[in-house]
Amino acid sequence: MIYKSKSNFQNHPFHLVSPSPWPLFTSLSLFILTTATVLFMHGFQGFQYLVALAVFNVIYVMALWFRDVISEGTYLGNHTNAVQKGLNLGVGLFIISEVFFFLAIFWAFFHSAISPSVELGAQWPPLGIQAVNPFELPLLNTILLLSSGVTITYAHHSLIQGNRKGALYGTVVTIILAVIFTFFQGVEYSVSSFTISDSVYGSCFYFGTGFHGLHVIIGTAFLAVGLWRLAAYHLTDHHHLGYESGILYWHFVDVVWLFLYISVYYWGY
Amino acid sequence: MFLQRTASALARRSPARAFTLAQRPFSSSVIRSNEKKWAPKQEGKILTFDEIKGEDDLFAPGAKPGTIPTDLDQATGLERLELIGKMQGIDIFDMRPLDASRKGTLQDPIIVNGAGDEQYAGCTGFPADSHQVTWLTVSRERPIERCLECGNVVKLNYIGPEEDPHAHDHDHGHHHPPHVEPKTFADYVKPDYWYR
Repeated sequence: MIYKSKSNFQNHPFHLVSPSPWPLFTSLSLFILTTATVLFMHGFQGFQYLVALAVFNVIYVMALWFRDVISEGTYLGNHTNAVQKGLNLGVGLFIISEVFFFLAIFWAFFHSAISPSVELGAQWPPLGIQAVNPFELPLLNTILLLSSGVTITYAHHSLIQGNRKGALYGTVVTIILAVIFTFFQGVEYSVSSFTISDSVYGSCFYFGTGFHGLHVIIGTAFLAVGLWRLAAYHLTDHHHLGYESGILYWHFVDVVWLFLYISVYYWGY
Repeated sequence: MFLQRTASALARRSPARAFTLAQRPFSSSVIRSNEKKWAPKQEGKILTFDEIKGEDDLFAPGAKPGTIPTDLDQATGLERLELIGKMQGIDIFDMRPLDASRKGTLQDPIIVNGAGDEQYAGCTGFPADSHQVTWLTVSRERPIERCLECGNVVKLNYIGPEEDPHAHDHDHGHHHPPHVEPKTFADYVKPDYWYR
């Protein structure tokens, strides 16, 4: 066919995206979110509603944007091998940027923890801080997260082997484990004896575990979208980049927890 | 607080009118959704590379319920074209760099395949990467181009359709004066230097 019909198709593999409102809308939503959050945190009256509205807006626009990407990839076939490579690279670079984000958080922690100043009682945890026992809920959470790593790997390999049930159940179990983890983190927050304003310990502890928890929630949503697309027959045994990115993200979140557990919970106890 | 005040002020100013929820009665949406359900579905099929003529030939049948689809079952659009081509050993996107196994001459130019009216070729000399990339434009009207840097000659091999619907109106109705080739050394001194 090649010579007769080749001009019916584009002769390069790249996806030249069509004009889209979502980048602009995302920027506006994020701008409103940051502004409203700053004003809210400085005690301006009523801005908690704007924060909530902006969070909703950000999530809503993201959903619409990803919906477009799913249409382009799954229903229009725009994601050729070259496009998939580019998306993979983008996900990889994003996760590297996340690594450095958490590196900064750990830096802040170790800065204060390795040589605790005299104001802290020259000890870590600081004088008067009753740290969380790492062998209680945190250990259970470690086990939960490691197990979720096992189940998601099982689901992924099931998908590659064409085992739909295994992939679905594996992902469902992973999401359940993730939700239980988040629930227990909430329990731990509500029973802990210190707050985010209790010395640099509280700041570093909630900075690290809080952002980790946020990432767990995002990762859970990421995997949940993968589960939906699995159930809706979007994903093939070879082409499941979004799902695989969710898995990669989940492993990243898992690894961050291990570092948190070892350094903040165990070493810092 | 000021939000509430603004909202109530707006409410007061808005003219009173019946609240219309929908443009058409809800009963018609039932008919519409039924229509969609009973309309004949386009069943895709798995075609070989030679049978694919246009985008309509790139609809796949999809997976059987309860199974994980393969790419052959389900890939569509350009992704499918690439896949079907690869399965038959054809690289539909010729992404290889320009042939730099030799230097093209007027007698024996480097051939550049192109399906459109124009094609760009990036010359880096011979051996490859001898000089900065020079972008040469070969077209159907002027198929031969020479690199200013190294003298490499490239020639368009047109592989598009015989009857190109776009070929009739080159300036898309703008009616610019036709492009005239600038006179060169060859026009005055040595006409056989022209390739035409």
